[in-house]
Amino acid sequence: MKLKQLLALPVALLLVFSLNGCGTVTAPAATGKVFHYGTMAYGPAMQNASTDPHDTYCGWSTVRYGVGETLFKFDDQMGLRPWLARSYEQVDDYTIKIKLRDDVVFSNGKKMTGEAVKACLEDLLARNDRAPHDLKIDAMTADGQTLTIRSHEKMPDFINYLADPYSAIIDVDAGIHDRIAIGTGPYKAVRVDDQGLHLVKNENYWGPVKPKLDEVLVYSIPDGNTLTLAMQSGELDAVQGLPYASLPAFEKNGAYRILSSPTSRVYQAAMNYDTPALQDQRVRQAICLAIDKDNFVSVLLRGNGLVAAGPFPDTFPFGQGVQGPAYDLERAKELLREAGYTHTDRDGYVTKDGQPLTLRWLTYTSRQELPLLAEYAQASLKKAGIKVDVNATDNYKDFLKRGAYDIYAQAIVTAPTGDPGYYFMSKIYSGQPYNNGHYSSPVSDALIDRLNNTFDRQERFRLAREIGQQIVNDDAVFYASFLKMSVVMKKNVTGFAPHPCDYYEITPELDIH
Amino acid sequence: MASHKRKKITLLLGLILLGLIASCLAEYILHYSPYEQHLSLALQGPSFQHWLGTDVYGRDLLARTLAGAKLTIITALAVALLSALIGSCIGLFCGYRQGKAVTCLLRLADIFLSFPTMVFAIAVAGILGGGTFNAAAAITAVTWPKYTRLVRNLVSPLRREYYIEAAQMSGFTTGQILFQQILPEVIGPVFITAALDLGTIITEIAGLSFLGLGAAPPAAEWGSMMSSSRLYMQTAPWTVFVPGAAIVITVALFQLLADSLRDFFDTKLVR
Repeated sequence: MKLKQLLALPVALLLVFSLNGCGTVTAPAATGKVFHYGTMAYGPAMQNASTDPHDTYCGWSTVRYGVGETLFKFDDQMGLRPWLARSYEQVDDYTIKIKLRDDVVFSNGKKMTGEAVKACLEDLLARNDRAPHDLKIDAMTADGQTLTIRSHEKMPDFINYLADPYSAIIDVDAGIHDRIAIGTGPYKAVRVDDQGLHLVKNENYWGPVKPKLDEVLVYSIPDGNTLTLAMQSGELDAVQGLPYASLPAFEKNGAYRILSSPTSRVYQAAMNYDTPALQDQRVRQAICLAIDKDNFVSVLLRGNGLVAAGPFPDTFPFGQGVQGPAYDLERAKELLREAGYTHTDRDGYVTKDGQPLTLRWLTYTSRQELPLLAEYAQASLKKAGIKVDVNATDNYKDFLKRGAYDIYAQAIVTAPTGDPGYYFMSKIYSGQPYNNGHYSSPVSDALIDRLNNTFDRQERFRLAREIGQQIVNDDAVFYASFLKMSVVMKKNVTGFAPHPCDYYEITPELDIH
Repeated sequence: MASHKRKKITLLLGLILLGLIASCLAEYILHYSPYEQHLSLALQGPSFQHWLGTDVYGRDLLARTLAGAKLTIITALAVALLSALIGSCIGLFCGYRQGKAVTCLLRLADIFLSFPTMVFAIAVAGILGGGTFNAAAAITAVTWPKYTRLVRNLVSPLRREYYIEAAQMSGFTTGQILFQQILPEVIGPVFITAALDLGTIITEIAGLSFLGLGAAPPAAEWGSMMSSSRLYMQTAPWTVFVPGAAIVITVALFQLLADSLRDFFDTKLVR
């Protein structure tokens, strides 16, 4: 082979890497003060590539990028505060009266009235798949700046759902054109596509702090290395979702700032109760005991996480006090022996009635931590004698539909509404479509029913802790860790910080100096 | 001259065999399991204890790279042999016979040839699901037509040769004529083409694994190792460089071997 051919191989490899790291950030002509923002959290894979809040999860983009706002918002402690609303009154168990601000205008200059909010919520109920199930609205009446909502079930956490991004208030009369919705936020979208958003200052913004930037360009960069290189090259002013492995490169550099915030996004693995082996609690408990969460967080997440005991972090009032299983490999082996699993050959795996204990671990790759957890769990469970076949695929929904999994690991925000009710109703309650483990416990169900009928906040929190402990006691779900979200920005960027709820990124306070 | 070429072939074959033997004995020589995780040793640079460093799970990269050699080379050999076998059999039949069945088979081969190899392999592996076996099947599916075309073109002129007609008149069956009379005439080019293909197949296997469509974790496959380590390219570059270098060296060795074999057989033909 000629020298040229020999050289071609490493050159080709270098090209692959260099192409991987460039070409994504192509900014359109922009004028004035422009903020370039790279994120891994936007795009068709996340079902949020639009500013239409009523379309799947696009509300996240509406609120995150400052196009739309909700009637209520979360503060840094996940407490609820009025935003487009001025106040609310719980008339009875089924009725809520919301007083709206009378100084809010949409970006097209139209005033936000009770009728406009009613029309928006009606559109939400008509087009969003989750909202009708969450909100259970029976009737709405608008009178000036007052909106009265009646639900057909008791809804102690109704107001919390009005802080969910899908409840962002938009002018539905203006319609949605090219994925652009007319909201009330500090910025308005002029281009929205799969690759990102182009936002400009909303000159009609109603808030006390006016937007300081002329334009914001949001780039969807789903590859961690590309995002890192784009930030290092100076093409971006700030990034969200950098791989943990890249953070040290910025920590050592004085030109950047890193801010982190704990979130309620948990990495959890639901045990499939349809799997005969997992119907034995000793096996489920052995799995939970055999995986060392501390090591997972400190080494594999490089400390960018919090060890999880239950479904909610300790920083949330309804997450405190839940006791999770501590790593104990010997006890895990003992439990497997008690369950009738023995070592019969030299491959290190246990068997029962001649059948090896093999579990299919289903997960996806769009969250960088999940494949890490899968491979770590595989090696950890091997030590206990359990064979794990990892299926890390972005086609995971097909496998879920077919029931082709024994353990399903995912990353989910457990308190998107700042209340525990959502998680329990969607992931834990018997028969719910997103209860991927098919967990069914009369004790948990009864507690969740009580939670759904409890309006007192402290009592709700107490019940949530009790339910969380029950799930952990049943070993129905293995809670690995919570995400600590980090953003990296240039030193001259101000007013940009991660929020525990992961909803608010581009705000009027954001500025470049 | 021929002895020089023979020495070169022997040297290259020796190096490849040495790699395979080292790969098989890696666990016993190095005392490190390519699969056992030691998180306390995560992402350590090359050292006396770990010559090529460790990965994010604290696994010894030398042990994993050697384990990967076995998997990658054996899979590549299997794919090359199977593609050559399937393609050659169809090529023999198409070159010797005529008719609608032959036309259909040739058009089928043309259809497969028209697909860009990697794209088709991604589609097939995507449908069948991940795994080394499925990746190998996907690559085989797009590699065999090349052999069909090659063998068919070599066999067609032979059909009218006197010794073939003589064999037909002597009552030889079609199978005897194809495999006893014709096959020995075409096996050389098929062998060299397969050897030349090995490098490409290795990169395709690594490519599919890199995309998550090949070897599943924790298999020590080079493409998969590069893929899972690419996030550490800046902070622990050895985790990407080591399996990358293994691919480059192995592909280069196979290419050099194939070139030497071609030169060797060409010389014999001239002589």
